[in-house]
Amino acid sequence: MTIESHADQVLSLVVKAGGKGDLIVDQSDAISLKARNGQLEEHKVTSSRIFGLRVIKDEKVGTAYSEAADPDSLESLVEQALTNASYAAPEVHEKILANDARLSTDDAIFCPADSASTEDKIQLALALERELSSKDKVKNVPYNGVQDGTAERHVFSTAGLHASTRSHSCSAFAYALIEEDGKNAMEGSGQVARLFSDLDKTSLIDKVYQDSIDMLDGEPVASAHYDVIFDKEMQVSLFNIFAVMFSGKSAKDGINPMRDKKGELIADPRLTLSDRPDNVHGFGYSLFDDEGTPSGSIELIKAGKLKSLIHNSMTASYFKTQSTGHAKRGPRSPLGVGLHQLEIAAGDAEDTELHGGEYLMLTDLTGMHSGANAISGEFSFGASGYLCENGERSQSVRNVTVAGNFYQMLKNINMIGNRQHWNWQRSALMPSIRFADVAISG
Amino acid sequence: MLATQTAQSVIDHGLTLGADFAEIFVEKSQSSNVNTLGEKVQSVESGIDFGIGLRLVYGTKVLYGYTNNTSAEGMKRILSDLAARDLRDPLVAMTAFDYRDAPNHHPLKKPLSEDPAIESRIAYLLKADVAARAASNLISQTRGMCREVEQRIEIFNSEGLHIGDTRHYVRATMTSIASDGSKQATGMRSDGGMIGWEIAENLDAERTGAEAARQAIVNFGAKACPSGRMPVVIGNGFGGVIFHEACGHLLETTSVAKKASVFHDKLGEIIANPAVSASDDGTLTNEWGSLNIDDEGMETQRTHLIKDGKLVSFLVDRIGSQQTGYDRTGSGRRESYKYAPASRMRNTFIEPGDAEFDDMIGSIDRGIYAAQMGGGSVQPGTGEFNFAVTEGYFVKDGKIQHPVKAATLISTGPAVLKEISMVGRDFSLACGMCGSVSGSIPAAVGQASLKVDDILVGGNA
Repeated sequence: MTIESHADQVLSLVVKAGGKGDLIVDQSDAISLKARNGQLEEHKVTSSRIFGLRVIKDEKVGTAYSEAADPDSLESLVEQALTNASYAAPEVHEKILANDARLSTDDAIFCPADSASTEDKIQLALALERELSSKDKVKNVPYNGVQDGTAERHVFSTAGLHASTRSHSCSAFAYALIEEDGKNAMEGSGQVARLFSDLDKTSLIDKVYQDSIDMLDGEPVASAHYDVIFDKEMQVSLFNIFAVMFSGKSAKDGINPMRDKKGELIADPRLTLSDRPDNVHGFGYSLFDDEGTPSGSIELIKAGKLKSLIHNSMTASYFKTQSTGHAKRGPRSPLGVGLHQLEIAAGDAEDTELHGGEYLMLTDLTGMHSGANAISGEFSFGASGYLCENGERSQSVRNVTVAGNFYQMLKNINMIGNRQHWNWQRSALMPSIRFADVAISG
Repeated sequence: MLATQTAQSVIDHGLTLGADFAEIFVEKSQSSNVNTLGEKVQSVESGIDFGIGLRLVYGTKVLYGYTNNTSAEGMKRILSDLAARDLRDPLVAMTAFDYRDAPNHHPLKKPLSEDPAIESRIAYLLKADVAARAASNLISQTRGMCREVEQRIEIFNSEGLHIGDTRHYVRATMTSIASDGSKQATGMRSDGGMIGWEIAENLDAERTGAEAARQAIVNFGAKACPSGRMPVVIGNGFGGVIFHEACGHLLETTSVAKKASVFHDKLGEIIANPAVSASDDGTLTNEWGSLNIDDEGMETQRTHLIKDGKLVSFLVDRIGSQQTGYDRTGSGRRESYKYAPASRMRNTFIEPGDAEFDDMIGSIDRGIYAAQMGGGSVQPGTGEFNFAVTEGYFVKDGKIQHPVKAATLISTGPAVLKEISMVGRDFSLACGMCGSVSGSIPAAVGQASLKVDDILVGGNA
């Protein structure tokens, strides 16, 4: 049976039961490779498919999913979703959109033909581990891998919507464990691309090796308040952790601290932050969201003022506004919202200004999943990086913590660089921001 | 779940490809999530996960694939694709399956498949919401979650193993948010076990709600945490995450075999203060990290890791055993059929000592009492770890002073194990989810309150 016929079966049952609904079908094929001691240690080939149904009946919403696709399982899927809906409180704002569009992404952009063979990928995995292991002071490369996969998402609704996306990505990563004179350090990095041939083994090895070597002599710095620049990877992670501040869903649920602050100054007036799914150079490039609504560019903070939250059709209805095209739903999850591709506008600080005087460049933060409270804004992470003076590294820094309140920190920006950078996952485009007076403990 | 003949032909195929070992892991899991927001049911979600994990082993090299397709031909095709670079003449002959049920050490009264009505779960969460709001006008919102998973597994391997088991997990969590409109703080209470909904007989919704509210209110009034190196008393229960992160991950052969653990060559050596003895125990009745059999079909066990400061064992799975020579410990675990098994923790804890809590606090001139811990992480290669304090207090002149917020403790495994100088009597276990190479799995942590003489506290005072 085709995906379309599965969808027909499921949605017909929903309609027959007097409900409306939408069905997400995700399927993917992937290969994952890891090397150890010059040999392939793990070779994983995966193929999966999952159906996720949302039904709305009598203004009540229920969801259910199934990885089995036989007719009995799909019938059970509908029954489960309807049963689940019967327990939910009425939600007058959540509806299946009257959208019967046929939408699909462009394979030339998202899923370009890739001629790389499995053997090519195996050779990259082996070479990555072998060449990095052969470098001076490298004890081993305990974590490494090459992944390649194609993922498809189809969204069908009882209104007639069929939105489909198909994307291909390949990635490589490595961590090198360095030892010398009883000291050790381990740093890692990765690369991602649409085409296997765009992965650059040499630059990845060089970066991982240099980062690890540089951290070998790391020592804590004295506890004090420092100017801090998070590197391009950590800065994106930090903004992502506190992305709940832009969530219309969290605002509706009463747990978004920015809920009533639209139009208020919540950040330094030089900060302008947008969601830019229309930037084709990033991996967050998106044409439509999980309700089939076009996903356009939107300013979230403009000149320091909160300009908008992100909405799906439900939160937009609740707040009497329009969906911003940020509906997010997975097969296993109910309707929510999610950012596509954050972008911070370039500031006016030249590199020489941005890197003037003494500051800490933090290149790694640990415990980000547990050390942050997105509701209060409080955070405390383990950190490492470099103490810098006028752009030059004066000391490698390890075993320190960085702590503060992210929402206060947004108001305490010293300067914003005039050049934007992608992070390695190419999910966000940001200039470096120099935050003032950040608490470091060493 | 999978016909024996089908399994036989697939494993036969794996061996004809020259593999030393072939294994099929079949999983069907039923799950249910009930979520409340304030006094309303926000969502009810349920689903079926079904799939088959296929593993071939050549020496210590692992080839792994998974599929949702139960046809023998489909599975054989995956094995052939996986083994394309490793083909050789068959070395091992198939051993006929000898089916056995897993021993059942964890009695189950109300599994999801037999007690799917969720009214009682909803009632529990809504009662906890009422209790949380009654605790203070500052409580502006609550979120409740009750998650149940019934996981059925069946394992076949080329050594003739054919075994099945059913595991049932329940987790109930209440989060409270305290807010005055400009400032927010959160508190949480979570209970769970490898048990059915009969867990409700021992849950008190009012106490759950009140506890979540109490912690939110404490944190709402908390001051900035001082920073720097100082002594810390870590509370019981989830405080055991310190051992989980600082030491437990470093004792898994997943990192030991790669020499990516700072403890890989320390077996038999003193690695901790003599006050410290620690175990990882999968046999504790109905505990969150318990098992009957591991995900490789081996009966689980209690593994003594550290005895009076001396490292006495690692946690060893099948591949780890081949790589290191140590005996398996029934520790091969995975999140689902989507992952190859790896050596992982179960219920991991520091055994209780005989110190009095008041003596620990009384011995501190300036430090922290970390009453409740959040999660953390570790880098096995260097042993550097971190974990968050979710309810903490400043201690001065031997007395608890006031609550502090946004604190993280960081150190290295080898260092902190030597800094544990006092272990109390108030032992308890707590639920957590542990993420690593084979996915996210239920793992309990535990300890009595204990004192670390010197650790870096990250605060923002």
